[in-house]
Amino acid sequence: MFVSKSMTRRVITIDKNAGIFEAYEKLKEHRIRHLPVVDADNRLIGMVTDRDIRSVMPYELFKDPDLQKIEKNAVAKMKIADVMTVKPVHISPFSTIQDALLLIEEQRIGALPVVDGDGRLKGIISVRDLLRAFTNVLGIGDPGTLLCILVDEKVGQLKKIVDAITEEGISFGSVLVGRYWDKGKRAVFPYVHTQNVAHIKRKLTQMGFTLLDPMEWCLDQLPTDE
Amino acid sequence: MRKTGFLFDRRYLLHETGSYHPEVPERLEAVYRGIEKGGLLPKVKMVSASMADRKWIETVHDRVYIDRLNDACVSGQKVFDCPDNQMCSETFNTALLAVGGILDSIRLMMQGEIDNAFCAVRPPGHHAEHSEAMGFCYFNNVAIAARYLQMEWQIDRVGIIDFDVHHGNGTQHLFEKDATVFYYSIHQHPSFAFPGTGREFENGTATGYGYTKNTPVLPGQGDEEYKRLIQRDLEPAFESFKPDVILVSTGFDGHVDDDMSDICLSTQWYTWMMEQIRAMADRYSQGRLISVLEGGYSLARLPELACEHVKVLLDE
Repeated sequence: MFVSKSMTRRVITIDKNAGIFEAYEKLKEHRIRHLPVVDADNRLIGMVTDRDIRSVMPYELFKDPDLQKIEKNAVAKMKIADVMTVKPVHISPFSTIQDALLLIEEQRIGALPVVDGDGRLKGIISVRDLLRAFTNVLGIGDPGTLLCILVDEKVGQLKKIVDAITEEGISFGSVLVGRYWDKGKRAVFPYVHTQNVAHIKRKLTQMGFTLLDPMEWCLDQLPTDE
Repeated sequence: MRKTGFLFDRRYLLHETGSYHPEVPERLEAVYRGIEKGGLLPKVKMVSASMADRKWIETVHDRVYIDRLNDACVSGQKVFDCPDNQMCSETFNTALLAVGGILDSIRLMMQGEIDNAFCAVRPPGHHAEHSEAMGFCYFNNVAIAARYLQMEWQIDRVGIIDFDVHHGNGTQHLFEKDATVFYYSIHQHPSFAFPGTGREFENGTATGYGYTKNTPVLPGQGDEEYKRLIQRDLEPAFESFKPDVILVSTGFDGHVDDDMSDICLSTQWYTWMMEQIRAMADRYSQGRLISVLEGGYSLARLPELACEHVKVLLDE
C-alpha cells in the first residue's frame, strides 16, 4: 500500500535552465504530462506540467511550422524556471496510496513527485499509477462475476456473505462496500471467480439477502449541488 | 431444404460435473428430445463422434496443458484449474470426442455430403485458453475447428460468431493477432457477467487489429436491442471480411428463462439470429456453416431452442 510500491521509479526530469522546447519534446517523446525539476543533487526544486508549457507556447506553433522560426525565438528565451511551480506539493515514499489518492483529489493535480527525507526525488505517482493499483485491487484482470447485494448497515452482514460463498469453494477477486441511496443500507459487491453464479444467487436469496438489479448498481453517489 | 448434419453422441453424457453445477448431461438430452419431438430426426444426417487426433488439439492448446488435463482425469481429480471446472474420469475422452465430432462434421460439409451442421457437444469450449481451462470449458472446440479448416481444407478466412451470453475469452485470445480469423461476440456487458472480458474497445492486436469485434449488452435488454446491435456491428463487419466458412458458438443462455444471465431474449430472437447467420453464410461462404453448442442451461427451454435452431439450418 506504500507509494514506493506503486510509483514510477524511472522519472523523466528536467533542469531549471532548460528551454521550453526541450520540455515540450520530452513530454511528447515519453507521452507524459509532468516533469519534476531537479538540481544537480537530484533535489526537487519545482514541477512543470504540459499545461504550463502549452500556456506559454503560442497556438500558431502547434499549427504552422513556418511561423515557428519567428515565434520560436521569443519563446526560446524562456527557461523552465520561469514557468515551473516552485515548492510543488509532494509525497513521501512511505505514504500510502490512499494518502496519494486523497492528496491528488484535494489538490486537484495529476501527479505527485515522491521525495525522501533529504528532499531527493525518488519517483512520481500519477493518477494513472493509482488507476493501475485500483484495477489490481478490483481484481478485474481475472475472470469472474460481480454480484451486488443489498444489506442492512450492521455488524456481521459481510461475514455471512463471505462465508456462504466460501462454503461453495469459490474464491474472491475483491469485495467492495458502497454507499446506497436508502439510509441504513449498504451495497456489497463481491467479485467472485466463478461462472456458476445462478447457484450462489439462489443461496443468498434463500438466506434473505436482496440482490440488486444490475441496472441499479451504483458504486458512488455524485456530490449534490447544495 | 438443406442437408443438415446433427452431431450427437451418447458418450457426451459421460462428462459429469457434480452437484449444483449447471453444465449437466441433461442439457444434451433436452437438446436431443427437442429435435426428436420436432420430427426433425428423419430430416437430418446423424453424425456420431470419433476421437480427435491429438495433433488438432495441439494447433490451439499447449502440449503440457493437454497432458495435465489427461493426468488429472486418470488420477481421478474432480476439479481442474478452478472450482467451476468440475470433472470426472471421462472428461478428457469426452472433450476429445467433442472436437472429433466437430471435425467430422466439417469434413462431411467440405466433401459436400452436408451443407451445414449443428454440433450438440459437451463440454463447451469458448472460455478455454491456450493453457488454461475456464468456465466449464477444456478444449476450445470452435478455435480448433477454425485451424482444422485452414490447415486441412485450405480455407483462408474463417468467421466466428459467438452469441453465447458470456464472452468467449478463449477464442478471442487465440485469434486476436490473426487477421485470417474474424471473432465476433455479442454478450452481456463484462462489468455484469463472467468472465469480465469482451469490452467494446477490445478489437484485436498487432496484425489482427480490426479482426475482433465485441458488442457488450447491458443487463435487462432483450430482442429489439440485440437485433439493433447485430445489424449495427456484425453485419457490416462480415460484409467487409467475407468469411469463407462461418463457425457459430451457439449459446442459449441469454434466454429470459435462463438464470445464468440478466439478458432477456426470446426463443424467436434465437430463430431470427440463425436466419441472419444462414443468410450471411449464403452471401459469403457458399452456405458453409457449422454451429457448435456452448452454454444454455434452462432444461425447460433447451428442447424448443434446439429444435428451432435446426429448423433454420434445414431451411424447410
